[in-house]
Amino acid sequence: MQPEQPVLDSLRKAVEAMPDDVPLRLHLATMLLKAGLRDEAIRQVGAILQREPGNASAMALLQEPAVPRPQEAAPQPEPSPAAGAEYDWSRAESEVGDVLPPMFVGGSSADTSGSGDREAAAFDVERSVLRLADVAGMAEVKHRLEAAFLAPMRNPELRRLYGKSLRGGLLMYGPPGCGKTFIARAVAGELGARFLPVSFADIIDMFVGQSERNIHELFSLARRSAPCVLFLDEVDAIGQKRSQLRNTPMRSAVNQLLLELDDVAASNDGVFLLAATNHPWDVDSALRRPGRFDRVLLVLPPDESAREAVFRYHLRQRPVAGVDLARLASLTEGYSGADIAHICETSAERALMDSVAQGTPRLIGQPDLEAAIGEVRPSLGPWFDTARNVALFANEGGAYDDLAAYLKKRRML
Amino acid sequence: MTELTQGLARARAMLDVSRYDQAASLLANIVAADPEDSRAWCLLARAHAGKGQYEDAAAAANRAVILAPADDWPHRLASNAFLHLGNTMVALRAANEACRLAPHEWRAHICLAQAALATRGQFDTAERAAANARAMAPNEPDVHFVSGQVSLAHGDRKAARAHQERALALDPAHGGALNELGRIKLSRAHTASAARHFLQAARSAPQVSSYSRNIEVVVRRTVALVIYVASVASFVLTYLAMMNRLPRVAVVAGLAGVAVVTAGYGAWQLRRMPPETRPLFRRRHIVQALGVCYGAIGVGVLVAAVTPGAALPGALFAVTIFIIASRFVAYAMLRREAANAGGR
Repeated sequence: MQPEQPVLDSLRKAVEAMPDDVPLRLHLATMLLKAGLRDEAIRQVGAILQREPGNASAMALLQEPAVPRPQEAAPQPEPSPAAGAEYDWSRAESEVGDVLPPMFVGGSSADTSGSGDREAAAFDVERSVLRLADVAGMAEVKHRLEAAFLAPMRNPELRRLYGKSLRGGLLMYGPPGCGKTFIARAVAGELGARFLPVSFADIIDMFVGQSERNIHELFSLARRSAPCVLFLDEVDAIGQKRSQLRNTPMRSAVNQLLLELDDVAASNDGVFLLAATNHPWDVDSALRRPGRFDRVLLVLPPDESAREAVFRYHLRQRPVAGVDLARLASLTEGYSGADIAHICETSAERALMDSVAQGTPRLIGQPDLEAAIGEVRPSLGPWFDTARNVALFANEGGAYDDLAAYLKKRRML
Repeated sequence: MTELTQGLARARAMLDVSRYDQAASLLANIVAADPEDSRAWCLLARAHAGKGQYEDAAAAANRAVILAPADDWPHRLASNAFLHLGNTMVALRAANEACRLAPHEWRAHICLAQAALATRGQFDTAERAAANARAMAPNEPDVHFVSGQVSLAHGDRKAARAHQERALALDPAHGGALNELGRIKLSRAHTASAARHFLQAARSAPQVSSYSRNIEVVVRRTVALVIYVASVASFVLTYLAMMNRLPRVAVVAGLAGVAVVTAGYGAWQLRRMPPETRPLFRRRHIVQALGVCYGAIGVGVLVAAVTPGAALPGALFAVTIFIIASRFVAYAMLRREAANAGGR
């Protein structure tokens, strides 16, 4: 049976929203193939192979014959050699293997060891090998992290001398896709502590009371794993303003979170609290009180050196040649890290489609990347629109002074 | 509990905390695996609507209507989506169908009230539907919010205010009700009070751009009023001086007096405004518009002071034209900025 258009449209939207969800993309590619949309299916398979070069299911899909579309049911003439299914990828790779020019202009080739790109599974305690030095650029953020969080943690004698308490956690906020999670990992690495990342999806549960139990277990695990950095991603969802949660089971989950935070504050033996959010204005004010998340750090879009590093990272496992990273970084002012990842993906897609059309593989070059920059618009506009409202009208007690100063500097206020 | 039910419950929890992207992705998977489940399509419609993608929301809701034509929920979702798409007749039809299927469901009546309010000639339907919803759910803030909108559309400001205040009593952070109270105050030219309500609305929901735009509307209206009064008073003064040959001193003093009094009125208004709105009065287009208006009055004072007696009536005629033109230029500046703000 061929999938229907609304199903395909829904899947396309979902993939757009979650471009890194490989199983979802694979599912879309399968459905497209069933619907006879072979070209689009190949594009999706290409995107999967960019993320997971050896993905067996994706490779298998490439070999599958397409189901003819109803209007194309008549026998087709012999397919052209560039149609894709017959393309021999391993041969192409071996052909270009020893003729590759240097990847980047004026710099060293990327380290392809892939350290630091591991994803933590839900409730899995991991050991972070990242350090703040691995975070490119963002000097201001690092300085504030050091002063507000790391220095007191690392100097217990001085801390005792000045009577500085270890109560409370640090809330990082800023536009999406700008490296808050990466920084949290680096903080754990700096402290030599274990890292326990948790997102909203790990905690919510459909049974009444189960989300609360999950939160309790999470904090118990953190205490057992001390020293440990407990990182609550999307804390605005886990700890949303209770006034916005009328008649929903999530309200009691927020209460449970407050209870656990107070417990951590009372018996803080090596559990360091970090949280991140794109919408700090949606976080329940009780979570921001002293002893809970009482320190706040604004994480802004990457500066030029950070953007260069992000480009290097996302191109490191792709066949590129003659790429001027400094120029790319200067062309992407105002782009988030996620936008840059999308640019790299778009450029790879261009090169891949070109290779399929020409029947000869070619490398991703500077023109591909610059064309992709023209295509991909910065995604931070809506966030800054809201941030502007907050800085103008909701900056009570100077809670968003950093944000207001940044917006003023960028002439956005 | 089946995998489908679990997935739907997760999606519902995501929607409860406004995680529309995540919910849409999860639901896209669910409807791909089980395209016959109307609840999944309904939740997908909610997710799309939450993201502001009303065409997708309408498509998902229509799909749910086909799968469960006797359920009121898909019809309500379809009505909401079509209302946002500006297709009020379809929205009204869907809302009517929802009410027919679930006559005791207050949400269906609220949906009907909103659709009828947006449709020409359906005011009675809106009023009746709002009254039905109030009778069914007197403690739901949204019921009073929509009732207030209906009353305001009818021109009954007192009832509208009472409904919005009731909505706020039930939910003190109801952004919509705060915004409506601001609109009611603004319609009575209570600008400072309107600004306060819009400000509270913008604080409670900073992501809703219309609330913050309304604050800018208040600022622009205040400045426009100052410019209007200053221009009209100056025009009348120069016209009278020209026709009645008033002495030079009277013209100069009169124009200077108009400038001082209207600027004083503007400063008084500014003092009454919440402090957060004051930076908006320092915006370039506001300063430029005021500069054009008071610049024209200044030119009038100068011309009246230095022009020889015989040429004064002719010069005052030119000043009159100049002041009228300056008012139009200043208004154009304010309007251009309003258009830019609308497009932002």
